[in-house]
Amino acid sequence: MSRKPLAVAPAVLLVVVALWEVVATRRAASAVPDDAAWDAASQLVRASYQPGDLVVFAPDWIDPVGRLHLGDLISIDAAARMDAARYARIWELSIRGAHAPDVAGLAPASEQTIEGVTVRRFERTPAIVVTDFLAQTPQSDGARPALELAEVGFAPHRCVQVTPVPGKPTRVTFHGVQLGTTLVGYAGLADVFTRRDIRAPGRLAVELAGRTIASAELGVDDGWVRFEAPTTPGTSDVTFVASADAPQRQICFAAEARK
Amino acid sequence: MTAKRIGIALAIATTVLVLVNQRDVGIARDETVYFTAGDHYADWWVKTLTFRSHASITQTFGGAMGGEANPEHPPLVKLASGLSHRWLPFAGELTAYRFPSAVLHGVCAWLVFAMTCELWGLAEAVLAVLCLVLLPRALFHAGLDCFDAPTMTLWFGTVYAYWRCLDGRKFPWLVGVAWGLALATKHTALLLPFALGAHYAIVAIRAKRLEHWRVVVSLAVLGPLVLFVLWPWLWLAPIGHVRDWLAFHLHHVHYNYEYLGHNWNAPPFPWHVALVTTLFTVPTATLVAAVIGTIVLVRTRAERDARSPALLLLLSAVASIGPFFLGTTPIFGAEKHWMPILPSLCIAAGVGAAWAARRAATVIKREKLALAIVGGALALAGATETITAEPYALTWYSALAGGGPGGADLGMNRQFWGVAARGVLPIVAAQPPGPVYTHDASPAWSWYERFGLLPKGHPDAGHETAGIAVSKLALVIHEKHFNRHDYLIWKSYGTVQPFYVLRADGVPIVSLYKRP
Repeated sequence: MSRKPLAVAPAVLLVVVALWEVVATRRAASAVPDDAAWDAASQLVRASYQPGDLVVFAPDWIDPVGRLHLGDLISIDAAARMDAARYARIWELSIRGAHAPDVAGLAPASEQTIEGVTVRRFERTPAIVVTDFLAQTPQSDGARPALELAEVGFAPHRCVQVTPVPGKPTRVTFHGVQLGTTLVGYAGLADVFTRRDIRAPGRLAVELAGRTIASAELGVDDGWVRFEAPTTPGTSDVTFVASADAPQRQICFAAEARK
Repeated sequence: MTAKRIGIALAIATTVLVLVNQRDVGIARDETVYFTAGDHYADWWVKTLTFRSHASITQTFGGAMGGEANPEHPPLVKLASGLSHRWLPFAGELTAYRFPSAVLHGVCAWLVFAMTCELWGLAEAVLAVLCLVLLPRALFHAGLDCFDAPTMTLWFGTVYAYWRCLDGRKFPWLVGVAWGLALATKHTALLLPFALGAHYAIVAIRAKRLEHWRVVVSLAVLGPLVLFVLWPWLWLAPIGHVRDWLAFHLHHVHYNYEYLGHNWNAPPFPWHVALVTTLFTVPTATLVAAVIGTIVLVRTRAERDARSPALLLLLSAVASIGPFFLGTTPIFGAEKHWMPILPSLCIAAGVGAAWAARRAATVIKREKLALAIVGGALALAGATETITAEPYALTWYSALAGGGPGGADLGMNRQFWGVAARGVLPIVAAQPPGPVYTHDASPAWSWYERFGLLPKGHPDAGHETAGIAVSKLALVIHEKHFNRHDYLIWKSYGTVQPFYVLRADGVPIVSLYKRP
């Protein structure tokens, strides 16, 4: 090959990259579905929506747009759910090939893409909740627990929140709780600013009849941490023990006894 | 047209472009502090120089760090914006405050042009300036009454002045004064001696003797002296107040910053933040041209010039961006904190693009045509990115990242400073009067009213829970760590449904809720 044709290679490279950038930039700028697309997708959901269905959006950054169009179908409790196990039907509206973590491992019963918004309906056998601890009134031997809508791991969660005194665990006890075969819960540290300023973790343990059946270490970057323990159906006292070595650990937890 | 006139025309065009672009850019929360401080500084200087009574130095320039007088930042740009606001009423108040920064961006274009033209040629200089002007984030920052773009100008001005002063002149005062102005703009100018010192040492080693010692004296004496003269706060306790100033920045709080899907607010930070962020916030074609230019400069050893200009530009860039590879330097401001790399990068891009065009001209035999095609393509790419980015350039990412939506997919920072609230003002104005929870736009809200961008009747409702409780409308400016504000509003309003979502290229940047 002669040297001369190669001499144009850097210029050609630059021009090609520049032209690609022009096209790619404009394509990217118009690649996200607009309100008309979301309206059309919303109509599809509304046509078959049943009370109790869960509606989720993916990727998570499009969530405000999803709530703009379908927020009337999403209660605060649903948006701040512990997890999605109790929902028999889940609608996922997604763009750009994303999937919501709530439908991981599930196969869609229906799927349709409208102008870039993919609407999938998932159906499954829901978890049967015997006791939702958030609906119970606990007793505490220390810091007063409060029912909160809190930010944990940058997501909303309804939870019981307690801030233990450093070195002095707070025991939050639910008396006479109906149990199923398993107890599932989640916990984490609320409030991004105290997580930033104080980097020490918190801890949560679950005691049943004086025995620890589950526990979780709650680091500042751990988000909403799942824990689970098998239980014997029947009635029992359940105690959640929140502890920390540092102040301002706003330990936030939710749990369900499931059949 | 002579090269000088071309340079001046490009500088003026740059300033005009900044001034036009900033008209749609919202008010950054930091600007509100600088508006007030700048007015006070200007008033103090005018009254002092005209022998009228005025507030004390402490009242005007001192007080607590983080207070209204803003003693944690040196005064130059604030003073300039205050004087501009005082003397340029015809420009509109907001534009007047931002005018000095826009002018300084034009000056930066001129400096880049002048140095490049002198060293590598007219075509290289024009292309370098085009690359600089068509940097979307830099254009955005240059339109704010803040220090980041001005720092870039005065940093590079110091580098250029230093290089000029290595010509053996007897009184190299220019470099010392330039560095003093840079110091009086932002503390990051303290990194400049690392670049200049390393360059001076290398040049001395190559020459096997110490030359141009007056340049060092100029930097060491005039730099601090200019800072001292311009900053009355130092007059009262030079050492103590310099110590307080530096301590504030050495122990600066780590604001929240999203990077690759993670919210970072405590070190250690990933070593590659500065690298990846630069790759995603400089137009890709400019980056490719800069890579070519760097290779060309290394291979052709432009530094046959004993003053080693290419080495100087490289060291300047390294000194500016280097600290952000340490993992402990605050990263929350992203590219704005290492903007002084941009002149070096754009000069390399200009050299690279012109070299590529000239090489191609050996085949097509028409150099001007080759330069026009390559330069035109480069400018077209930069212009496309810039038009796409504005006025929400903090949400924008380059084609390499997949644009704004690609940046969101990658979990790159959405925005900061509450600037995007400007976009929902017409929606707010169309609602019945009532208090508005203004979230991160709270410091800017009364300024929007004052500047006529929001009609009366929509006052700021107040802070967080208490403010939301009395509000009729509530807005949330979307950043990952701000999600909690959505939840506070849900609790108070009893709904998760906003009635308006402002988007930049489809990416949500502000949600607006209405109390049912």
